[in-house]
This record gives sequence, C-alpha cells and structure tokens, in this order.
Amino acid sequence: MRAVLSASPLRIALCAGLVLFSALLVVGETHQTRLLFTKLQAQESERWHLQERYSRLLLEYSTLSAPHRISALSKTSLAMRSPNTGSIKVVAQ
Amino acid sequence: MSRSRPPVLVYRWRIALTAAVLAGLFGMLVVRLVQLQVGASQYGAHFLQRQGDLRAVRSAEIPAYRGLITDRRGAPLAISTPVVTLWTNPQELRGSGRESELATLMNLAPKSFEARLNRYRNKQFMYLARHQTPQVAGAVMEAGLPGVYGKREYRRFYPAGEVVSQLVGTTNIDGAGATGVELLFDTSLQGRTGKKQFIKALHGESIRDIGVVEEAADGQSLRLSIDLRLQHVQHRELLTALGETGAAAASAVTIDAQTGEILAMTNLPSFNPNRRGQLDLTTMRNRVATDVFEPGSTVKPLTLVAALESGDFDIDTLVDTSPGRITVGGKVLPDPRNYGEITVSRIIEKSSQVGVTKIAQAIGHERIIDVFQRFGLGQLTGAEFPGERSGRLPDHDFWSAIDRVTPAFGYGLLVTPLQLAHAYAILANQGRMVPLTLLANEGQGAAGRQIISPEIADEVVTVLHRVTGRDGTAQRASVAGFNVGGKTGTIHKVGATGYLDDRYVALFVGVAPIEAPRYVTVVVIDEPKGDAYGGGAAAAPVYSRITQEVLRIQSAVPTDSDKQSPVKTVAMAERDNPRV
Repeated sequence: MRAVLSASPLRIALCAGLVLFSALLVVGETHQTRLLFTKLQAQESERWHLQERYSRLLLEYSTLSAPHRISALSKTSLAMRSPNTGSIKVVAQ
Repeated sequence: MSRSRPPVLVYRWRIALTAAVLAGLFGMLVVRLVQLQVGASQYGAHFLQRQGDLRAVRSAEIPAYRGLITDRRGAPLAISTPVVTLWTNPQELRGSGRESELATLMNLAPKSFEARLNRYRNKQFMYLARHQTPQVAGAVMEAGLPGVYGKREYRRFYPAGEVVSQLVGTTNIDGAGATGVELLFDTSLQGRTGKKQFIKALHGESIRDIGVVEEAADGQSLRLSIDLRLQHVQHRELLTALGETGAAAASAVTIDAQTGEILAMTNLPSFNPNRRGQLDLTTMRNRVATDVFEPGSTVKPLTLVAALESGDFDIDTLVDTSPGRITVGGKVLPDPRNYGEITVSRIIEKSSQVGVTKIAQAIGHERIIDVFQRFGLGQLTGAEFPGERSGRLPDHDFWSAIDRVTPAFGYGLLVTPLQLAHAYAILANQGRMVPLTLLANEGQGAAGRQIISPEIADEVVTVLHRVTGRDGTAQRASVAGFNVGGKTGTIHKVGATGYLDDRYVALFVGVAPIEAPRYVTVVVIDEPKGDAYGGGAAAAPVYSRITQEVLRIQSAVPTDSDKQSPVKTVAMAERDNPRV
C-alpha cells in the first residue's frame, strides 16, 4: 500500500501527464459539443425551411384540389356532368 | 563600519512588520476569494453563479410544430406554416438614423412609426409585425438594421376556409386552440415547446449557444371523421337553400350510423378563419352542436317506438282521427284535414297531430320520455364538441293533460341537430347506439349497445320510408335511384311573447338507403320566408340533394339498378360508344 502511495518523481510525472491529458480531452469534447450544436442548429434551420416549403405546397395542393374548384372546372373546361342514376352501371361482384 | 550596524537592525524589524502586514492583507484577500468562489455563504458561489447567469445566459423557446388536421381522406383542414415575427429593441433602433429605412421596408407610414417608436423609447421590446411570411421577413432582416430581430413562429392556415370553419375552429394568435376541434384536441395537437440556452452580449445578441435544455416535441396530426367532399356538398346545398328560402341560417349534419362517425357538419352563415380581425361571433357557432330547439314532428318516430314497445300498437293498428282535431286540457290540436280512421303507420306518414296525441294518451307520457332518454335526448352525444349542449327533456312536478301529450309531437323538450341525428342513427343501426365521434375510426370505435329491438327499429325505418312515398309529407326528400326515409318537422319559433305565428324552423331528418340504412342526415332551415316554410317544402329538398351526393360519394348501389355482369357492361359500353 505504502509503495503505491509513495510519491516517486516518476509517479508524479505520470499523474501530471494524466491530468494534462484529461484536461485536453475536456477541451476537445467542449469543442466537439459546440460543433455538434452548431450542426444541430443548422439542421433545425433547414427543417424549418423544409417545413415552410412543405406547408406551402400543402396549401397550394389543397387550394388546387378544393372540391368547388374541381366541380367548377369539370363543368366548364371539361364539359362533364354528374351521372344520373340511369347512367350508373353496377358491376356485380 | 561599526557605526552603520545599529540602523540595519532597526530597519529589519520594520521590513518584517511591513511584510507581515502585506502578507496578512493578501491572506485576507485569499480567504475572501475562497469564501466567494467556494463557500456557501449568502453571497457565496451560488449567488455569484446565479447573478452571472442572470446577466449573461438567456433561454429561448423552440416553437413546436402544431399538428396537422386532415379530413378522413387526408385532405388538409388546418396547417401550421412557419412565419417570422419581427420585433425591435427601440433603444437600439432609435438614433441609428435608419428608422425611415425600416418604415419604407415594412410599408409603414414614417410619421406614425416614428410616434410609436417614441412611445416605446423606454422599452426594450416592440413588435414590428407578427406572422410575416419568411420572404417578407427575410428582406427586412437582410437590411441589417440595428435592433431589428426576427422570431420564428407558426401560423395556422385553414385551406378549406369557411366550408368547415365552425367545426375545425380556430387558434388564438399565440397558437393555442380557441374554438372547435382546435380546442377539443388542443393538448395532442399542440406538442411541447422546447427550450434552449445561449450566452448573450451586452445588447442581447446571442454570442454562444450553450445547448438545448428541453427538446421541442411536435404536435400529433389528427385525422377527423369528416369527408371534405361531403362538407362541400352540404355547404353548397345549404347556400342554395338560403337563396331559395330566404332563411336566416341553416345547418346540416351527416353521420355514419354504423360507426358513429360524423361525416359532415355544416353551418351557415359561416366565416373565413383565415381572415382574422373581422370575426363575427354569431357566424362562429357550430349550430349543429350548440343550438337547441324544439324538435317538433321529427320525434314522432320515437313516439312510434314507444307505442310499438308498449305492445298495444303495431304499425297497422287502426286509430280514429276524426273529426280532424282533438281538445286536450282546453287546447285544440288540429290536423290539416280529417284523415278519418287510419293506421299507425299512416299517422306518421301524414304527421297527424290527432293520431299521435291519441297514441300518447293511450300509452302514457312516461313510456315516451323513457324512449327519449334511451335515445340520448337530454344528454351529450359523446362527440364532446366544445360548447355542445345537452338539451332538455320535460320534467314537471305536476303533469297537466297537455304536458302529457306535447312531448309526443316534440314540444316541451329541447334538442340539438346532432342529438336528433344520433337518435335516428339508432333506428338506422338496428337499434344499436354507437357514441358519436369526430375522429375517423373505420368502424373500430366503441361497440355500442342495444337500445331497442332490431325488429322495432326495422319497422320504424319502414314507416320512415313511407313518409317519403307518394302519400307522405316528404315526397320531395326522395332520391332518384334510391329508397330513403325520414321525417319532416315544422316548428314555431319561440319569441318574447311565446310561440310566434310567422317564424318557423324547417327540419328534416333522413336515413338512407332503406335496404341497409347507414347515412343519417339532419337538415335545419332557420326562419324560411314565403310559403315554402315547412319541413317538407324547405328542408326535404335540401336533404334529397345532399343525400344524392352522399350516396354517390360513398358508392352506394342504386336500388333500381339491375346488377350486371362485367361482360354485359362492357358490351353495353361498346354499343353506347361504338368504336369507329
């Protein structure tokens, strides 16, 4: 026990080295964290822009596919009409 | 040499004393430093840490994306879209000499903007414009004006606009549900706002992010039981009806009797939820769930249920309705004409007041009220719509002669259109009551419970079909190609002086198709003008047009279509459109 604890110059140097190493690791990790956080921010920002585009497209889609627009277009430019019961044929299963 | 010794001795202790004092002072500094940095005293490490954070660390909200609301087929009804709220720190902006530049960029009148800035001169926060599109905000931000900042937020858009506005509801400017479905499912739609921390410089600009304290959780999207196509059909037909009848308001609701899903729910007048600022509260009510009225003749089928359950009547029992009127408790209840001796079925078909009164007197009001109760009148429907009313069933300490018969033909009780639809759904669903829902459940919802026997439900549906037949009061409710059934109602509105003679509510409740009843639709026309004020004249045609589309959209097979084999159909198609 005593032999382990006794402070030989070699052991002191070893400890100092370890402390320095771990201190450098802390610095390195902090830097990594910051880099990752920046990346996260960038991706969140990208997500935000994508979301903006997605919701704009959704809005456009629902405006274009609104039932009243479809029915107006089908009547005017496509000359379609709702089928009456006589013109509906049911295919037996 | 010897003369110089003594003074050296004197100086030595002086030096020692000075050194000791200095060392003592330095020691005190160290002790104090340790106290402040490590110690746990009142102004110790904790305190200083906190003070430092208060000055430098700021947290910012990470907005959560509010869930999408779609109809049952995925068509969007409410979408959150990212927007930017521009704000300024007036203390930084003022005096920079670029105020007018900002006013021009934002299309603000320079004078009033200047005045507003002046009012806020002692503040550090002033909204410039909330909820700007990223393009507009981007242009302002790119100018690099001092003290102008953007905050990311979401704004709600309602692509279907006024067609579903009362049902979907609205959010307030801070993005929380305020009315309708937005309020009902606010918790799951909302998600959780996140939080991140950063270190700020003197003027508040972020210099370093510390990290995310709480992750933002996006809201869940919601698929409603509503079919936007049906919603459009109802909206269109109600608009037509308002034009034709000059009515003040109209509502319609269609439900799937088997699953309890509400397929469409429309109210007019309506409002555009995308245009804030000019909202009129009367147009925002979802009348289908929140407005009560006396149901009038539309509850007669429920009276019929009570009569059939009593065992004293079946639908072919003869009842004498001559001379076309009956006096109860001093009040005369007339029929349009003397129908003579007619069957119970015919009483409902003709909506004979005398006949229903005689049935009510024979079976007693308790049985009728009991059926109303079992059919959910006077109770909430389970749809849990915000502001939904439960209506009221008659409850007297003393039942006078007239009190005992009025419920049988729908007076003295209050119901909502939704309750009426729910009650008819029980008839359509072979006597089973399934709780109503606004969420698509594909029939996987609650199982429901048997309220009346399937036989009685079938008999009543048969009678309902006759109402739309050649001799019934609702011929105009019939739908080409299909067998439907239903019941009309024409109710006097109540004013300050009692029942009003010239103001009515026209009602129609229908089930379709008769062979396999599934779709229950209620149409309410409030205060139709002119001669066509009755349920049969004002509401039944609307029902017919709505149901035509409901059945087509739901791909119901027309009753009178002879089913054909695929080969024959192709052959017919070729005959109709011969290839050249």
